[in-house]
Amino acid sequence: MERDNHQEGEAQGVKICDPPSESNPPETLATSLSLLGNHMFPEPVVRKDSTTVVKEEPVDLHLSAVPAQEQNLDAEPISTQIKMLETDTAENQEQECPNNESTDTVDRGTEDAAGDNDQSDSGEFVVTMLAKAKLEEQGIGVKGRSSPLLEAGTQESPAFVSHRDEDVTAESWRQHRKHVFVLSEAGKPIYSRYGSEEALSSTMGVMMALVSFVQSSDNIIRSVYSEEHTVVFLQKGPLVLVCVSSSQQSEQQLRGELLYVYYQIISMLTQASISRIFEHKKNYDLRRLLAGSEKILDGLLNLVDSDPSFLLVAIHCLPLASSLRDSLSQILQKAITPNLVFSILIAKNQLLTIVQEKTVIEDTRLEPADVHLLLNLIGASSAFQAGEIWTPICLPLFNPDCYFYAYISYLDPPECTVCLLLLSTDKEAFYAVAECKRKIEEAMVAQNSLSLIAKAQSYSVSQVGVSDLRHFMYKPFDVPDNYRQLSQFTSPEMEAPYSSEEEKMRLLDLYRYMHSRIHSTSRPLKLIYHVAERETLLAWVTSKFELYTCFSPLVTKACAITAITKLLRWIKKEEDRLFIRYPPKYSTTPNPSKSSRGGKSDQPDSTDNGFLSLL
Amino acid sequence: MPEVSKMKKPDVKVVLLGDMNVGKTSLLHRYTERKFKDTISTVGGAFFLKQWGPYNISIWDTAGREQFHGLGSMYCRGAAAVILTYDVTNWQSLAELEERFLSLTDTANHDCIYAVVGNKADLTDPKAHLSQDLDGVSQDQTECEEDRTEPQVLSACPTPPASPASLSGMILHKQVTHEDALALYGRILRYKGLEEKSSLPAEKMCFETSAKTGYNVDTLFETLFDLVLPSILRKRNENQESPTVDLEECRVASGKRTKSTCC
Repeated sequence: MERDNHQEGEAQGVKICDPPSESNPPETLATSLSLLGNHMFPEPVVRKDSTTVVKEEPVDLHLSAVPAQEQNLDAEPISTQIKMLETDTAENQEQECPNNESTDTVDRGTEDAAGDNDQSDSGEFVVTMLAKAKLEEQGIGVKGRSSPLLEAGTQESPAFVSHRDEDVTAESWRQHRKHVFVLSEAGKPIYSRYGSEEALSSTMGVMMALVSFVQSSDNIIRSVYSEEHTVVFLQKGPLVLVCVSSSQQSEQQLRGELLYVYYQIISMLTQASISRIFEHKKNYDLRRLLAGSEKILDGLLNLVDSDPSFLLVAIHCLPLASSLRDSLSQILQKAITPNLVFSILIAKNQLLTIVQEKTVIEDTRLEPADVHLLLNLIGASSAFQAGEIWTPICLPLFNPDCYFYAYISYLDPPECTVCLLLLSTDKEAFYAVAECKRKIEEAMVAQNSLSLIAKAQSYSVSQVGVSDLRHFMYKPFDVPDNYRQLSQFTSPEMEAPYSSEEEKMRLLDLYRYMHSRIHSTSRPLKLIYHVAERETLLAWVTSKFELYTCFSPLVTKACAITAITKLLRWIKKEEDRLFIRYPPKYSTTPNPSKSSRGGKSDQPDSTDNGFLSLL
Repeated sequence: MPEVSKMKKPDVKVVLLGDMNVGKTSLLHRYTERKFKDTISTVGGAFFLKQWGPYNISIWDTAGREQFHGLGSMYCRGAAAVILTYDVTNWQSLAELEERFLSLTDTANHDCIYAVVGNKADLTDPKAHLSQDLDGVSQDQTECEEDRTEPQVLSACPTPPASPASLSGMILHKQVTHEDALALYGRILRYKGLEEKSSLPAEKMCFETSAKTGYNVDTLFETLFDLVLPSILRKRNENQESPTVDLEECRVASGKRTKSTCC
């Protein structure tokens, strides 16, 4: 059943699709490959054992002579070779749950995945292409496979070692699990996750050459697959983002991550100003404007790797007794000033509560991705925590072309775990907004909120009371209308055996794998029962929720299903504590009793001026 | 009760300006926390309130990045003192003050005080290097004399260095001499249309500091705070006359720029 697609795709190892149909179901070889590849995921080592010889010498010859200009490539069109290699794939005991008594939407997906499974055992495709050789030469597509676990352990712990100074010719640089590059359409380097962009300018030149070459025939390059790496391209306006990953994530997921990187850049500069700059000067060096922001992008990429919120595109809020959350919301609701549009309270990098201006709520909703960017900004800019920060920030999904002005202040110095974030549309409103913080602080002291917040913490999976259940992630869809505006998910702490960084990463990788199967564009599944080496996972998506669970390896299918029923019941019971149920609103249209306290009492229309210009 | 904890209205505003990585945040951090630590590039601007005797001085620590350039004039609005910071090991950082930051001060008060501060002196000056936190205050400013004997070879070449490697203990070439700073101060006055004679003397307003060792840091801030006191008092008097404050004043300030008024 997959054959047709393969035939069609074989002509090109590069996955290409026509510009207008970027969202077409990418039923090409590349997708299939990613699926096949993913099958081997739990036992990545296996692939190494296969004796595969991929001829690359002629390829090398071509590319070493290719500088970063597309004319040269035009002369020698990129030819691609596809080889089918015999591999011994260890039996991956993956199977779909054939039926499920306690559920209503199971049947679908069973056969599909079974067929898929067969194919993965039969062989493996290796796509080589000319340009890859150059990439490899630069070290991106290098043989020695990096273990994701090793990477997580060694690269993330020394947080203060700058990756900028890394030697890009060193083996260790090549071993990075996920590289991310940002370049301008003129091929100018803008950002590299590891190593300095300057040292990588020739590599980025080749990337741009690939993009332009494919573009010259009215196509868009989307991805390149090699044996060990997936190279994903994302073009956004004048920016080109490239991810080179050995993480076994799906192309879709990697592209989603690149999109986050793009949004983070937009959040600092706005889309409008980026396009303006490049319209004006095609070879502008955007690093001038982003200088100093590398840490924010680094931080984002580390979060993307370690925090499932990005994968689920949902917000993780701190579990809190609903009475306490309500009282905090009320405090925020009362401390307002004209042009204030969002009041957000954060503890331990998790959302406590969020209050929105009424008009904003009616017109649009706050997207989880925007909240993620805000949280990342706070995390990356908390160096000097005693002060009150006032900074422009754009929420790209809310409006990619306009700035909000963010007031960021910690409420509990010197611990600095509780952070208040107030967003205004008025550049000059700092003092008025700072006054709101004073009020909030006061009210929180009066209600002893800080010590109550300090007690709040994430929960243990043991509280669910289901044996064999080790961890889960639950994202509801069935939220009533009045709190539709923010997707959330809940998840317990990662506890033993997932307490070490390596194991956490391994579990997340399993979740990512499950997620990629569920959300596969070619064959989406509704239910997967996946027996991995050291645990058993069950992922299930319905019209009401999306659920990923992790069980001990010896659990039986029947057991897992009863466990999930129990888990769902528990979540229902705890709902008020786990989620922000009814996010309150306020109106910053002056209200006689409140505006007098706000300091600026004579601005009846300020609300309108404020965001009519925004929307 | 709430009246007490109500925000203390800042009496006067001091703004730190300068290119990224010159050490603005570190200077302020050294002064307020008595510590030197790695900082992350500032986002936007950070607001601090400093008690100075009976007065509240607000200090804006701004981001040096070009990205936030548009905000600079907002931070400077109504400022009573502006600290223009450069890095003594980086010629370009001094040049940037004139090219990029000086125009931001157009919105500052007409009687605004300007200080030109060369940070990272510990990298070039053995004295600043040895100077510890405590005796940093006691260091007098006679070191200007010695600076002139410092290697001036490199200062003539205006090439921006790569990032100054702060290898501890290593003495780097000083790219910006004290004289360069004095000259810049003169040009600032000219830009502002101020008479050199009636303004504060350059020798008094040009500092070399080290946020790392604390050298001259307290001197810098405390000199400035003392100098802005008259401005506070005048502002208070004005307040008694008319209750509306800020907006009015800064409009006047920006309009009056060319008038060379001195108090």
